[in-house]
Amino acid sequence: MSQAQMDIKSGLAAQRAKRKTQATRDNALRIGAIVAFLLVWYLIAIRTNPILLPTPLAVAESLWQMVVSGQIFGAFLTSFEDLFGGLILAGVLGIGIGILMGRYPTIEKILDPFVAFANATPMVAMVPIVIIWFGIGYPARVFFVLILAVWSILVNTLAGIKNVNRGMMEVGLSFGLSEAQIVRSISMPAAIPYILAGVRVGLGKAIVGMIIGEMDIALAGLGGLAATYGDAFRTNYLLAVVFSATVFGVIFVALLNLVQTKWYPWIAGVAGRQVSE
Amino acid sequence: MLEVRNVSKVFEKDGKDFVALQSVNLTIKDGEFMCLVGPSGCGKTTMLKLIDGLVPKTNGTIVLDGKEVNGIPSEMSFVFQDINLLPWRSVQRNVEIGLEVRGVPKAERERRARQALAMVGMEADYRSAPYQLSGGMQQRVGVARAIAVEPKVLLMDEPFGHLDAFTREILQIEILKLWMQLKTTVIFVTHDVDEAILLSQRIALFQAKPGRLVEVVDVDLPQPRWEYDVRAHPRAIELHNYIAARLNAKEAD
Repeated sequence: MSQAQMDIKSGLAAQRAKRKTQATRDNALRIGAIVAFLLVWYLIAIRTNPILLPTPLAVAESLWQMVVSGQIFGAFLTSFEDLFGGLILAGVLGIGIGILMGRYPTIEKILDPFVAFANATPMVAMVPIVIIWFGIGYPARVFFVLILAVWSILVNTLAGIKNVNRGMMEVGLSFGLSEAQIVRSISMPAAIPYILAGVRVGLGKAIVGMIIGEMDIALAGLGGLAATYGDAFRTNYLLAVVFSATVFGVIFVALLNLVQTKWYPWIAGVAGRQVSE
Repeated sequence: MLEVRNVSKVFEKDGKDFVALQSVNLTIKDGEFMCLVGPSGCGKTTMLKLIDGLVPKTNGTIVLDGKEVNGIPSEMSFVFQDINLLPWRSVQRNVEIGLEVRGVPKAERERRARQALAMVGMEADYRSAPYQLSGGMQQRVGVARAIAVEPKVLLMDEPFGHLDAFTREILQIEILKLWMQLKTTVIFVTHDVDEAILLSQRIALFQAKPGRLVEVVDVDLPQPRWEYDVRAHPRAIELHNYIAARLNAKEAD
């Protein structure tokens, strides 16, 4: 091995070691912050009425009891059904109508005021009318999740279809693609980053819809459990349920990230986030 | 033979008319390499897009081999300055796009795409994603995409405009070699007079305000041009000075 090669090797080793130290320090900071938070919570909680603020240990214990009894799994399944049903419908309708509006200016002109109106309406206030329309069963909860989530997906899809790079469309035109082929082969794939961003925002709203639906339409799932424990002032159980709902969001976001990196690696590549070594 | 007969283009912008091109007459022979040169705003890129039907002409006709061209002619393909490869497609699938439209079966498409990529020296990268390529490599793919459909006329709009000088010189020579091999007609837009002299057999000089064709200059330099230093050739220097004077004189009045 030449001197130059050896120099590069040692330089590279130093570079990697430095990066590793940095990563270790970052992780230590994160874990430290969480531990400090739990400690402060604990110190305040032991001096407070447990109805107002139970200790983190009490919350963990309540969660464990719900796991042992199986109660939490039943609630999880129900909530999953509410969220999944509503989100699938919101995705199909939001993406479908968004594409139609983006492609046909007439449809856009007709639907635009309604979309703007719906987007500005606080859908949470629709609970009573949803009950009147759909009763208090599963369809009511799914519909409620749908009307919360669909608008961000629709608006983002529309923006994505309309903002396709003109140069790319010109490439399609010059190679003789028809209008329909341009939509299918250029506009739709080009809109995918927007659509995924819309689904991400829609997901957050869907989870809100799921919990409110389960609290206010009929007691069911995680929202129902939270309401029940809240009414009984069993704050330790209530918080355990709330944190379980967090897990929900985390799982769905992870799923979305997986879809993006597996199926659409180019999104990260185009954004220049692709690190090549 | 490609004939541009009395073609004009007026853009209407904010109620005002902007004459991008005024009555252009130009005949390009089969297999000819012609450059369109002029300052910005002289309508040279508009000319190219009018020929390809990407921009509708205000009046006049464009005739290819005796047939009037309307819409997007399938005998021509375009190499853009902003290459705009589709980022979700591999290099090979990008090159296949024109073949897909023409209904070429899959196996044949793949074969021709690979062949086109080989001609531009990109055969090893057919599986790469566009974002993994450098600017020069992307433009090679842009050229491959255009020649894969085996066009009669290749329209190139400042294809090397965004590239660094070193890459540009390499690609200029490669495009010359490709042209001699394929024997297609090439219409090449550039604002670089030296580039035009190096590449073309004739140069069409355009002027702005209003955009118009002012003169067609013969570039009577020996071929193949990669075998000697064209820029140092006395005739090339003469041509350069003549064209520069012609463009500047017109710009002054």
